[in-house]
Amino acid sequence: MIRGLLLKSFLESWVTTVLLACALMGIEAILAYALPTFLQQFSPQLLQLEFFRSIIQALLGTDVGDMLSPDALHAIAWAHPVVLTILWAHAIVFFTRLPAGEIDRGTIDVFLGLPVSRWRAYACDLAVFLTSGLVVISLGLLGCFLGGLAVGPENRPRPQHILLVVVNLYCLYLAVGGLSALVSSLSENRGRAVALVFGMLVASFLLNFLAQLWPPAARVAFLSLMNYHQPLLVLREAGSGIWPLADMTVLTLTAAFTWTAGGVCFARRDICTC
Amino acid sequence: MSVIVAEQLTRRYGSRRGIERVSLNVPEGVLFGFLGPNGSGKTTTIRVLMGFLRPTTGTARIHGLDCWKESHRIKSEVGYLPGDLRLYPGASGNDLLRIFGTIRGRDLRAAGTDLAEQFILDLSVSVRKMSRGMRQKLGLILALAHRPRLLILDEPTASLDPLMQDILIRHLRELAAAGHTVFFSSHSLSEVERLCDRVAIVREGRLVADETLAGMREKAKRLITIKWQQGVDLSAISVPNFLEIHERDGRTWSGSLHGTAGQLIEWLHAKPVADLVLGRPDLDSLFRRYYEHGATEP
Repeated sequence: MIRGLLLKSFLESWVTTVLLACALMGIEAILAYALPTFLQQFSPQLLQLEFFRSIIQALLGTDVGDMLSPDALHAIAWAHPVVLTILWAHAIVFFTRLPAGEIDRGTIDVFLGLPVSRWRAYACDLAVFLTSGLVVISLGLLGCFLGGLAVGPENRPRPQHILLVVVNLYCLYLAVGGLSALVSSLSENRGRAVALVFGMLVASFLLNFLAQLWPPAARVAFLSLMNYHQPLLVLREAGSGIWPLADMTVLTLTAAFTWTAGGVCFARRDICTC
Repeated sequence: MSVIVAEQLTRRYGSRRGIERVSLNVPEGVLFGFLGPNGSGKTTTIRVLMGFLRPTTGTARIHGLDCWKESHRIKSEVGYLPGDLRLYPGASGNDLLRIFGTIRGRDLRAAGTDLAEQFILDLSVSVRKMSRGMRQKLGLILALAHRPRLLILDEPTASLDPLMQDILIRHLRELAAAGHTVFFSSHSLSEVERLCDRVAIVREGRLVADETLAGMREKAKRLITIKWQQGVDLSAISVPNFLEIHERDGRTWSGSLHGTAGQLIEWLHAKPVADLVLGRPDLDSLFRRYYEHGATEP
């Protein structure tokens, strides 16, 4: 039974996973090449502009100083809105399939007519999600290293440092997945579930962005998931071998809590397609 | 042994009515028709039995297992066809048989191919390209392929042409003869009359009848036409209370018989009858009266 559920989940999601993984690989390769090549040489002048400096600070969660270091450039590559959007899109599209997508499409009647417990179906989805997330992020990492080959050795990403950022990003991806699973479990309409989760993530992104520029927002910044993904700080501390354990714990616990709450809601809810 | 036992099953949707205190007992090996007009609660009952909806009060059990708490265990021996069937648009019939077979832990392809030949369906076509009738056939194949002990079919003949309806009915009869139980909902009276051993009628969420078709036939009136001989004084003939005359057209009287054929023959004995036509039990009228009058005996 489990093999069948995994097969179903895989067949429904592999196209999206491959497309988004390739997109992330391409974007990371472009960023790894383009940021040192084009941005770094102009960064002293650009950072003189208050607006630009604020944007970069808001994006990375900390002041970058008077020049964009290689670490800052790599941090931008892993905090770039396009990168985050690709990962969010994968998590949201994946986890709103069951149950919101199945109810919306009406196929849940046939699916739950099979001898599957709701918890087991939900857990099999998680297993495929964890695996496909690894594929997406690994291809992003590969793109980052491939793009780095085209720049000088001093600007290439250091694998052991970037890995910390990527593991932290994977935790963020899990938290977004958990949130999507919870919203999906409470919803009967996939479009609304997607819009709601995306809206919450955009709000979270903006809150984290504002927190760098507007002190009142900083007081509630802990509510934003993006507050726990700060690649530049991770890269700065990576040299001392410090892992962002606190951020990873918060993100993983958020993922575990929201996913479990979603499972409880799904297992207990009425399924009504009429 | 009872396959389905529902006791005082009630399901409400907020203030909206679903079903009210429905009790059912479906024995093994019967073709059980669940009848009712649109919106009467047939699908709600089926959704509670399938574990999609939690009953507000009451219990439902299939093969002795609770329909809500042990739903997934029940379904290994259940084949289900929803009323509003939706299938995965990107998959073909073969894909679905493979996936469903893997989930059920048995290879359904041989049985599915055999059923597809009977229902004249190409399993290589994707659901997206199928007509409504083709999708209905595929849904039936997916429900039947594992030869379940219990089949729950919500309006299974919808979208099927008469030829396919005959094939389905033949197949369901064979299953019932082999000891399988078929519980199906319909609002088609003729379908139920053709197929069922036992019938339950639900109206406005309440069960208003539950008995064998033979019992229903006994209750049903028979249409009758009596033609009297020439020159008879019809005003002298008194009509007994088991006979209701609806129309008197000269020497020809039309009406309905509430009593037995024996009572009629006894009454007509030695009367100047030229011709007599006694129709089959009029189940159609009986069902309609159940639909219209509800809980009261029609």
